[in-house]
Amino acid sequence: MRTAYRVLAFAIAAMVAIQAGAIGYAVFAQFNWIEEGGTFDKAAFDTGAPGTGAFMFHALFAGAVLLASLAMLIVSFFAKIPQGVRWALFVLIATIVQIALGVLSHLWAGIGALHGAAALVLFGVAVMAAMRARKPAAVEEPVTAEVA
Amino acid sequence: MASRTSARVRLIVSLVAALAILAPLAWLWQASLVPNSYSVMGMGHLDYGGGLVANHDHESTARSINDIVVDPARKADVRVDLVAEQQNLSIGGKSVPGYTLNGTSPGPMITAQQGQLIEVHLRNASVKAGIALHWHGVDVPAAMDGVAGVTQDEVPIGGEFTYRFVATQVGTYWYHSHQVSNEQVIGGLFGTLVVLPNAGRGEAVDVIAAAHTYGGMKTINGVTGDVRVPAKPGQQVRVRVINTDNGPIETWADTPFQVLATDGYAVNGPTDVTDHSMTVTAGGRADLGVTMPSDGKPVRVQVSKGTAVILGSGDPAAPPQPRTSLDLLSYGTPTMLSFDPAKANRRFDYSIGRRPGFVRGQPGLWWSINGHLYPDVPMYVVREGDIVIMHIDNHSGQLHPMHLHGHHAVVLSRNGVAATGSPWWIDSLNVLEDETYDIAFLADNPGIWLDHCHHLKHAAQGMVAHLMYEGVSTPYKVGGTANNRPE
Repeated sequence: MRTAYRVLAFAIAAMVAIQAGAIGYAVFAQFNWIEEGGTFDKAAFDTGAPGTGAFMFHALFAGAVLLASLAMLIVSFFAKIPQGVRWALFVLIATIVQIALGVLSHLWAGIGALHGAAALVLFGVAVMAAMRARKPAAVEEPVTAEVA
Repeated sequence: MASRTSARVRLIVSLVAALAILAPLAWLWQASLVPNSYSVMGMGHLDYGGGLVANHDHESTARSINDIVVDPARKADVRVDLVAEQQNLSIGGKSVPGYTLNGTSPGPMITAQQGQLIEVHLRNASVKAGIALHWHGVDVPAAMDGVAGVTQDEVPIGGEFTYRFVATQVGTYWYHSHQVSNEQVIGGLFGTLVVLPNAGRGEAVDVIAAAHTYGGMKTINGVTGDVRVPAKPGQQVRVRVINTDNGPIETWADTPFQVLATDGYAVNGPTDVTDHSMTVTAGGRADLGVTMPSDGKPVRVQVSKGTAVILGSGDPAAPPQPRTSLDLLSYGTPTMLSFDPAKANRRFDYSIGRRPGFVRGQPGLWWSINGHLYPDVPMYVVREGDIVIMHIDNHSGQLHPMHLHGHHAVVLSRNGVAATGSPWWIDSLNVLEDETYDIAFLADNPGIWLDHCHHLKHAAQGMVAHLMYEGVSTPYKVGGTANNRPE
C-alpha cells in the first residue's frame, strides 16, 4: 500500500507536468496556425484545427487526475504512512481547486492565470506526499542517557 | 492485545472511509446508465408547464408518429434523389475524411416555390453508421423530421427513405444528418434548401453562402477562400448565410446591409446596418440585403473572418470586424403576431447549467437541464393549439445555440428586456452565458420534437430534451437493433 501511495503521488505530479505540456503545445500550435492564415473559432476548434486535440486532451485528462487523487486518498487509509491521509487530502483538495479554477476560467480569463500558477501547488503537494512515503516509518531509536 | 484491537478498529475505520467515498460514486454511476435501447417517450420526467395534465396511455390509444404525414395521394412538385456516401473530401487542396450527397459536400441545393410538395428520395450507399435527414428550420410533419430513433430508424447501407413535405414557409433552410449528427454534420453530410415566394425572387442576385469548417478550414459552399458573384451597379442582392458549424459566426460588409430574414422569417421594416456585425448562430440563417453601389465598386460580405462573398468585380480589402453585433431585440418595426403570447397556457423552464456527475456511466463535467443530467431531462408536454412560453437561462459557462424542431418561436424578451423591434422569429437561438430569454410558440405541429443544443457535440453530451404532444407516440427507439444514435 505504501508503494501504491507513492506511485500514485508521483503519477499525479507527472500528470500535472503532462497537462502543462499539453497546454504549451496547444497554444503554440494555435498561434502558428493563425500566423499561417488560419481562422480560429468555435467551429475550427471542433473540426480539428491544430492544437485543438491538445486542448481537449487537457480537459479530459483533468478527470484522470481527479480519479488518481481519489484513489490515492483511499489507498492512504490503508497505507499507514504518518500523516499520509492528511497529505492525500491535500492532494485531492489541490486537484479539486485546480479543476474548479479551470472551469471558472471560462467565465473570466483572469482566473486562468491562477489556474496556471495553482498547477505548481498541486505538483508540489503531490511530490511532498510521495516523499513522505519514501521508506517505512523509521522506528525511533531508544535514547540512552549516558551516566557519567 | 490492545494493539491488535486498535489495528482492527483502524482497519474498520479505513474500510468505512473508503466505502463512504466509493459507494456514492458507484450509486451515481449505475443511476446514469441507460439501457441499450429506449424510447425517448419514457425518458426523464414529464413537465406539463402548468397546463392540463394529459392522460398518457400512449401504447393503446395514441396516434403513431408514422401517421403524421402529408396526403400520400398528393403528387410531388419537386423531386430530388440523394445518394449518401462516406468518402474523403478535397478541401483547399487537402484530403479530409467526410461524407457526400450525390458526390459533393454540401449536397445539392434544393429549391422550391412556396406551397410546393418536396419529395426527397434518400439512399445510403456507404455511410457505415447509417443516416437520417433532418430538415433544419422547416416545420415538416412529424414523421418527416429525420431524427433517427425518434421519427424513423437510421437508413443503413443499401437502405432508402422518402421524405415528403410541403414548403409552406418562404425562406432559407438547410438539411443535415440526424444520425450520429455530431460526426456526420461536421464531416459534411448536409445541403441547403431555399423556398421562394410564388411571385419569384425579390432580388436580382440571390446568393447562398453556407458556411462550414472542414478539418479546421473555413469554407463557403464547400470552397475555401472567397466566393465571387457577378452583380451590376444598383442591383439588389440577397446573401443567404447559413451557419452549418457548431459555433456562432459573425457576418458584416464594407457597405450598409439589411437583415431581411432570420431563420426563414422576414424581418418587418429592416433598416441599414452600418457599424454592427450580424451574429448567425450554429444552425441559424440570416438573409442579408445589399444594394450594389452605383459607382460600380464591388461589395465584400464577410462570413466570419476567414471567408467572404465578393459581389461585383474587383478585389476589395477585408473591412475591419465591427466590435458589436446587431441586437435583433430592437431591430425593425413591430407588427402583429400570428398568435397572442399573453394567452399562453403552458410555461416551461429550460435552464442550462453544468455540473460534475456521470452520463452514460462516464464521469465528467456535464451539461444539465433544470439541474438534472441526461437522461433525466424534462419531457415538455403540450396539446395541439396550446400557446407556450419557454424561459431559457444559461448559467453553464458557455454559449449554446438552442434549436427546437418542428416549430418557430418568437423572442419576447432577453434578460427581462422586452423586444421592441420586428417580431424576431427563431428556430436556432444564440444563448450566451448568463443570458435569459423568454420565447413563445404556438403548438401547431403534433409530434415528438427535439429541443436541443445545436453545438452537436454538446447534444451528444446529453444536452437534449423533447417536446411531446399529448396523444402522439413513436414506435422508434434510440439504440436497439437499428443502432439509432440521433446525436
